[in-house]
Amino acid sequence: MTDDNQLDAAFAALANPTRRAILARLAEGEATVNSLAAPFDMSLPAISKHIRVLVDAGLVTRGRDAQFRPCKLNGAPLAAVAHWTDQYRHIWGARFDAMDQIIADMKDTQK
Amino acid sequence: MTDTPKWVKITREFDAPIDVIWSMWTDPEMFKKWYGPMGMTVPVAEMDVVVGGTRKVSMQMTSPERTMTMWFTGVYKEINAPKRLVYTESMCDEEGTLISPQAMGMPEGYPDITEVIVDLSETGGRTTMTMVHVGVPEGSAGGGGWNQAFDKMVALLS
Repeated sequence: MTDDNQLDAAFAALANPTRRAILARLAEGEATVNSLAAPFDMSLPAISKHIRVLVDAGLVTRGRDAQFRPCKLNGAPLAAVAHWTDQYRHIWGARFDAMDQIIADMKDTQK
Repeated sequence: MTDTPKWVKITREFDAPIDVIWSMWTDPEMFKKWYGPMGMTVPVAEMDVVVGGTRKVSMQMTSPERTMTMWFTGVYKEINAPKRLVYTESMCDEEGTLISPQAMGMPEGYPDITEVIVDLSETGGRTTMTMVHVGVPEGSAGGGGWNQAFDKMVALLS
């Protein structure tokens, strides 16, 4: 993944309170899916889906233990996201991409 | 504030005349269309685009669990249509009353006011835009509601 794609994925993954709670729990140490699911009033498949998003974003890795495959926090993408200049650059960059798209749409309408 | 203010500077070129880009910033209906990407919408954008005039913008993020709305207000400091725009930005409540960033869970050192400076110039029907966002000190997070959450996470990690 390019840096930008990774940042996109990390931002998308963080834009959800359940996933942030899961990450906060994992910051204290690795945990199984079952123990991660325990505090939530949510089905195990629903929690697994959230974990999958975090794994895809590179924020969480899964262990090799065949039975439990504990989840572990990977801090690297988080560190990139946490730096405010990166955040603002990213937020404004995405906004200006949207501006570009509006201009392109306006041109299409004029044709 | 003892922290050194930091800034973000972004230069972009758009395939559109300067008036179009100016309206992106100053026409509320246009502004709403581009200001809220990444899962956020902009339901309210009120702009009194005169020097000393106020602006009020809301940003909303809807997830299956809840809807989060943030409000921002500010004052126009410089208006030189269609070349230069300077406005401030602060967090506020729905009525436009300022809220200290710390009360919103932002870390110490997050400034009460940030400033956005937009400079535009046109060459051959294309517009070069330079945007500078000033006033957020290094080491603090800002902007989105999730920042407070991962500030805590980063603190846990370090």
